[in-house]
Amino acid sequence: MLVLDHVAKTYPNGVNALERFSAEINPGEIVAIIGGSGCGKSTLLRAIAGLDRASGGAITLDGDRIVAPHEKIGIIFQEPRLLPWLNVADNVGFGLADLPRKEREERVAIALSRVGLADKAGVWPRELSGGQAQRVAIARALVPRPEVLLLDEPFSALDAFTRRDLQDHLLDLWADTRPTLILVTHDVDEAVVLADRILVMRPRPGRLFEEIPVYLARPRDRASPLFETLKRRVLTALDRSLDRSVPDRDGKSIVGEGMWW
Amino acid sequence: MTAVEMTLTPTTDLPSVRRRSGARHLKSILLGVVLPVSLGAAWELAVHLGWSDGRLVPPPSVIFTTLWELARTGELWMHTKATVLRVVAGFALGVVAGTLVGAIAGYSSLSRRVLDPTLQALRSIPSVAWVPLFILWFGIFEASKVALIAVGVFFPVYLGVMGAILGVDRKIVEVGRAFRLSGPALVRRILLPAVLPSYVVSLRSGLGLGWMFVVAAELLGASEGLGFLLIDGQQLGKPAQIVAAIVAFAVIGKATDWLIEVATAPFLRWQDAYGQQAGDA
Repeated sequence: MLVLDHVAKTYPNGVNALERFSAEINPGEIVAIIGGSGCGKSTLLRAIAGLDRASGGAITLDGDRIVAPHEKIGIIFQEPRLLPWLNVADNVGFGLADLPRKEREERVAIALSRVGLADKAGVWPRELSGGQAQRVAIARALVPRPEVLLLDEPFSALDAFTRRDLQDHLLDLWADTRPTLILVTHDVDEAVVLADRILVMRPRPGRLFEEIPVYLARPRDRASPLFETLKRRVLTALDRSLDRSVPDRDGKSIVGEGMWW
Repeated sequence: MTAVEMTLTPTTDLPSVRRRSGARHLKSILLGVVLPVSLGAAWELAVHLGWSDGRLVPPPSVIFTTLWELARTGELWMHTKATVLRVVAGFALGVVAGTLVGAIAGYSSLSRRVLDPTLQALRSIPSVAWVPLFILWFGIFEASKVALIAVGVFFPVYLGVMGAILGVDRKIVEVGRAFRLSGPALVRRILLPAVLPSYVVSLRSGLGLGWMFVVAAELLGASEGLGFLLIDGQQLGKPAQIVAAIVAFAVIGKATDWLIEVATAPFLRWQDAYGQQAGDA
């Protein structure tokens, strides 16, 4: 289980990007983190990835404290970030350098055919389309079989059609080994399609605002009334999170708290 | 078909692609040769028809005869060997020093702030200004010439390496970190391949400067070398010998540049993909 315990991040310049964020995320769960700009969602993800250290609180995965990139945690960025000097197959196998060559090649080949790019193994990254490159990035992140896969707005740079295609595809791949997925997004549709649970954050300082469980069976029909209802609920939560007169859920920042007492 | 087999199946018909680009390559070489060859032929004809005596500007046939004479007596080989050895030694020293200092300055911003201003100031000194000092320090023989060439090679390599390291995409480095690479592994698997293209460019411009500086060094006092052939030709009034030496410089300079290109091509194939596509378009 991934436990976020009062995670906070204050940058050296004094910006308070994230404040006492707590959540428990179960193995195999898909969690979407959504929120307005500056709500600290990417900061949180980078802290879980071990790329930036949190300045307060603790992140633990199965009891292991995360302070640096962890072998059980993979990450997919907004851009594919493929290494231009490696062909597609070598990019996918980048995280498997410790394995014997034969096993590595087998796993890469399987991963590539899983993302539908078996015929692109020998191609250079710059010859791929945006959607293809992001598929390669997904394969690269999944091939070491992470227990937790972090996705930082992974489809936001793609056109609407490719985005939908990759969202469905991601669920497909997730079903293979069922890693925990933590997805940062600003796309409400994407959050409702993918997530078991949506964490809505509010900005300045970034903190958790509302938690919305998504009880919809998969595959989800983007046109169903229930889907629409959930989308509206998330949108309402987002609107309220940006309205400064609405207090935080835990009430700690309620200015007029005394009035109730 | 299993996934493994699928990856082994070639996706494009490589030989035909290569043949086509080979033909285009040949065509572009021929196009580039048209101008010098026709100029040479025109001059040859002009001298042949008696329009000019060709004494100060010898026609190609005389230059080739001179070259052949020099080659036959073994002089050409001796001078070429002397020059090439100087360039090789100076280039090696300059590359090693430029790479090391450039890497240090690129990697640590503290050392960059300490080193770079001084080196930039030294870089702006015209090369030939060093010659008197180097002759005092290293004597009039090989050492001072090699030192001058090394200085010439050092700066482009230093600048190239430092700039390349500073220019490495932070996002790509982060990919390495996300896969738990650090220290030597990060350098080997991310930084080195990322800086290689600009490194090769800086090696090539360093080599070009090396050839420039070897001429400067040999003009200022040498008893052998292609630069000596230039001076000797001037003092004895043999323009054909001067042009022959210039031709030799051109051929060897181009050949050494080509050597670097060929030696590094396998590591830079990923860049070609773009060039080829641009050429196709």
